Amino acid sequence: MSVCRVSGVRTVEQLPITASSVFAFLRSERAGRAKRSDVGLILAAVLLVTLPQVVPAADNPKPESPPAAPEPTVTVIDGGAVRGILGRTVQGADGKDMGRVVDIMVDPAGLIRAAIIDFGGFLGVGSRKIAVSWNALHFARAVKNRDDIKLEATRDQLKAAPEYREGNPVVVIGSTGALEPLDFPLATTPEK
Amino acid sequence: MPQRRGPSVRSTRGLDWFVFFLADVQTGFGPFVAVYLTTEKWTQVEIGLILSVSGLTSLLGQVPGGALVDWARSERLVAGLAVGMIGVSALVYAVWPIFPVVLCAVLLHASSSCVLGPAIAAISLGLVGRSMISRRLGRNARFASIGAGVAAAVMGTFGYLLSSRAVFLVTVALAIPTILALACIRADDINADRAHGAIPRTDGKSPSTSSIAVLASNRPLLEFALVVMLFQFANAAMLPLVGSFMTTQSASWAPALIAACMIVPQIVVAAMSPWVGQRAQSWGRRPLLLIAMGALVIRGMLFAFVRDPHLLVVIQVLDGVSAAVLSVLIPLIVVDVTYGSGHFNLAQGFVGTATGLGASISMFFAGYLSDRFGNEIAFLSLTASAATAFALVWLIMPETRPRIADAQE
Repeated sequence: MSVCRVSGVRTVEQLPITASSVFAFLRSERAGRAKRSDVGLILAAVLLVTLPQVVPAADNPKPESPPAAPEPTVTVIDGGAVRGILGRTVQGADGKDMGRVVDIMVDPAGLIRAAIIDFGGFLGVGSRKIAVSWNALHFARAVKNRDDIKLEATRDQLKAAPEYREGNPVVVIGSTGALEPLDFPLATTPEK
Repeated sequence: MPQRRGPSVRSTRGLDWFVFFLADVQTGFGPFVAVYLTTEKWTQVEIGLILSVSGLTSLLGQVPGGALVDWARSERLVAGLAVGMIGVSALVYAVWPIFPVVLCAVLLHASSSCVLGPAIAAISLGLVGRSMISRRLGRNARFASIGAGVAAAVMGTFGYLLSSRAVFLVTVALAIPTILALACIRADDINADRAHGAIPRTDGKSPSTSSIAVLASNRPLLEFALVVMLFQFANAAMLPLVGSFMTTQSASWAPALIAACMIVPQIVVAAMSPWVGQRAQSWGRRPLLLIAMGALVIRGMLFAFVRDPHLLVVIQVLDGVSAAVLSVLIPLIVVDVTYGSGHFNLAQGFVGTATGLGASISMFFAGYLSDRFGNEIAFLSLTASAATAFALVWLIMPETRPRIADAQE
C-alpha cells in the first residue's frame, strides 16, 4: 500500500517508510516548521551521507520492524512530497464536499486501515464521524497542489454508514461504497 | 407618584440594534469553533474537552452572571465589558489557536454570555418598566432572531468563501457596532432599581431587596423553572436528531435541508414574537405557555412518524412557535414572579441554568435512546417530557400576569 501516492517523486530513504512513521512525521509537521532553519543544515548533511541510497518512491513498502541500529536513523522527505492531512477537506467522486479528516485508524502492525471523516450536516448539526477505507482515498492532488483529498465514493454511498464510536466495531466504507467491518484484533496481516 | 415618562427614542432604537448585533456576536461563531480547530489540526479529544468546558461554564455561570447584573449599578457597563470580552476571545481564537490560550478564551466567552442574557432583559426592564416590558420583550425577540439569522448567513458566507478563521475576525468586527449601539442607550433612561426588579424609590434611599432565600422559596419561580427544564429536555435534542436522520436519508440534500430547518423557526420567531408580546398582556401568560408546550408535543409526535425530509422542514414552523413564545415569556414570567424582590437577574440566571441543564441532559438521553432503540422511541420519549411540561402548566402553573393596578407600579 502506498502511503503517500507520490509516484515519480524521489524520496531519500534509509529504512522502508512504515505507515506509522510517516504519520508520526505528518503529525509533527507543525512543530518541524518552526525549526526549519536548523533542519536545513541537517538535511544537507544527511543528503550527502545518504546520496547513494536515493531510490524512487517505493510503491508498496512492506511494514517490517527496523533492524536494531545503534544510531537513530534520519529520514528526509522532500517538503513537497508529503503533507499533513488532519483537518483537510475530502471531496467525493462527484466533486461534492464530504467533510474533513479528523482521525486515522491503524492496526497493530501499524498499517493505516481507515480515515475518520466528519461527514455531512450543516453548522455542526447532523454531522457524524464515519470511517472510510484508506484505499479509497487519493492524496496525489492533496499533497502536490494543496487540493482536497479525493474519496472514491459519493455522499449517497456514505449516507448509510453508522457513526464511528471508540470501542464499537468500526464499519469502514470501501471504494465500492460497500460496508466492510474492520476487525482489529484479527488484523495482524496486511489486507489484500 | 413619580412622573412616568417613556424612554427616549434614541435609547429604544439603541436597544433594538444592540440586541440585533449581540445575536451576531454571541451566536455567530459558536458552530464554527469545532470546524476551525479541526482545520488547525486539533485532535477530537482536545476539541471535545474545549466544548465540554464551554458547555459547563455556560451552565454553572448563569446564576453568578445574574447575581453580577443584580449587583452592578450600570447594566450598560457590564454588558459593554461582556461584549468586549467576547470580541477579545474571538480575536484570540483567530490569531493564537493553541490549547491553553483557547481554553482561556472559551472560559471568557462562555462566562460573558452568561452575563449578557440577564443584562439585556435588565436593560429592557430598566428602560420601559413593568407595564411595557411584555411588548419590549417581543420586540427584543424579533431583533435577536433577525440578528441570529443574519449572523448565520454572514458567517456562513465568510466561512465558505474565505476560511473558518475569517468567521472569528468578522465577530471581532461586529463587536464594534454592538458596543456603539449599547452606547446609544442613554444611561439616565435606565432605572437601575427597576432593572433589577426592585420597586423604584424616589426618596433616594436604596430599595428594599428581599433576601435570596425568599427567591428560593418562590413557588411559582420553581414551578416555572421545572416547566422550562422539561421543555428544553424535550426540545433541545429534536433538531440534532432530525439532522442526523436527514444525513442518513439524502446525503446530498441534507446540508440544505438542515439549514432550512434552522432558518424556518428564526423566521417564525421574527414574525410572531411582537404578537406574543401583545397577547401576553391581553390573554395572559398561561394560554401562550400552553400553545408553546402543545406545539412541542405535536412536533415530537410528527417527527416520530414523518419520514419525508421536506415535510420535516415544514414541521419546524412549530419549533418557531414554541421559540417565539418562550423567548418572550421566559424573561416576562421571571419579571412577574420576582417583581419587588430586586433579584430579577439572579432569578433569570436560575431559570437559565434549568434551561441549560434540560438541554444538556436531552442530548445525552436522546442520543442514547436513538442508538439503542431507534429514532421513533427517542422522539416519543422526548414528546412524553413535552406532554409532562404541558400538564404542569395546565395543572399547577398560576397565571402570573399582574392585575392592571399592579402594572402601574
